[in-house]
Amino acid sequence: MSWVMIAYYVISAFLLALLAWNFIRERKSPDNLVLYLLVMIPLILRLLRVK
Amino acid sequence: MKREGFLKSLLGAATLALLLWGGLPLYRHRHFDIPVVEGPGVTSVVRLSDFCPSLKGTMADTSVFILEGKEPGGKAILLGETHSNEPEGLLAALVFIENATVEKGTLYVIPFFNNSGSRNTRPGDGYPLYFEVPTDWGALKIRLGNRDASPLDQWPDPDVYIHYPERQLLSFIDVRNVNRTWPGRPNGPLMERVTFAAMEIMRREKVDVAVDMHGAETMFPVTNCIVAPEKSVKIATLAAMTVKAKEGFESHVEPSPAGFRGLSHREIGDHSGTLPFLLEAPIPFLDQPTGPKTTKLLLDGKDPFLLSLARGKKLFVPYDESGWPMDRRVGQHCSVVLEILHQFSKKFPDKAVIVRDVPRYADLVKNGVGHYFPNPGKVERKAIVLN
Repeated sequence: MSWVMIAYYVISAFLLALLAWNFIRERKSPDNLVLYLLVMIPLILRLLRVK
Repeated sequence: MKREGFLKSLLGAATLALLLWGGLPLYRHRHFDIPVVEGPGVTSVVRLSDFCPSLKGTMADTSVFILEGKEPGGKAILLGETHSNEPEGLLAALVFIENATVEKGTLYVIPFFNNSGSRNTRPGDGYPLYFEVPTDWGALKIRLGNRDASPLDQWPDPDVYIHYPERQLLSFIDVRNVNRTWPGRPNGPLMERVTFAAMEIMRREKVDVAVDMHGAETMFPVTNCIVAPEKSVKIATLAAMTVKAKEGFESHVEPSPAGFRGLSHREIGDHSGTLPFLLEAPIPFLDQPTGPKTTKLLLDGKDPFLLSLARGKKLFVPYDESGWPMDRRVGQHCSVVLEILHQFSKKFPDKAVIVRDVPRYADLVKNGVGHYFPNPGKVERKAIVLN
């Protein structure tokens, strides 16, 4: 795997962690909760090497 | 607080369900293997990585079937699934592997040339993940791939693909298109390594003839034809004329453009002693103005919108209610390959490649391509290669 690919996976994991953290911390807006989860989907699929 | 926790759990569960619903079929497709039965002529099976070690362990590595004849002679290589959304090339390659016997010379067959592309999909175009070929014993399930390699295997794409070694500027997506990365290099992007490995087979084994089998849209001018560079054009012309006269179907000759780099029909000839040919059979499934991209359209090639366009003379091939079925497309490939080998053998008798027991166009149209696929459940396990 090339270093660019590795960097991409690291960035994906970092973004995923940020989104998960925001999801846990969100107290008020159910819309934001849905938004965080939807944005997580492609990142999870890529990290799991599904798509 | 309790309500918030419940809401988060509910949304998390819904997302997980969505992930599984969308992701599992894609995961299964990527890891789905097709059983290839070694026919009576197969003498050995090697891997593409044997010719380019950096392919080992990657999704681009694939099986190379060798059919060595009793008598020494010339050598030929057949490539299927250079573009994995053009499965007539794959099916024709399987017909050769599972049926052919070689009397003289050697035949190399790579049925899944872009193995990574064959495990990729095009959900944006609504491609089905699989299709089934009816056979005498049931249905053979085959994964339908994409034109380009999966970004999981080769990424990132550049802004512009600079072809090696000619440095021609090509579209960014062509870096994952194995018919733009010829002749390749051993340390380049993954698809360049795939073409380099195939070039190594041709250079090391002194292969005389290479045939790359494709499908092309009915609205694309380069369809239903044999694309050949200057050095192959005589044999291509003789093959085209013979199949038209003897078997009654058209497959005209198109010249390989010298200024368009990276294609098999150009680079193989320029970088080795091999004579390259690229076959195109019309595949209505790939045309843009069709109905839904169903397995039925893939197999029978019947579409009312194309029929309407054909009446307005907008297509480059004759098209009527009978469509352009898979059996006909595979039949054309088998007959044209056999005729190219025949014409080559006539011209160079000391390097003849004589192949028997492969059905021709009329046989495939009459019996269907599935008739020529043996039941993998009825042969010895060691005679099956999963790819």
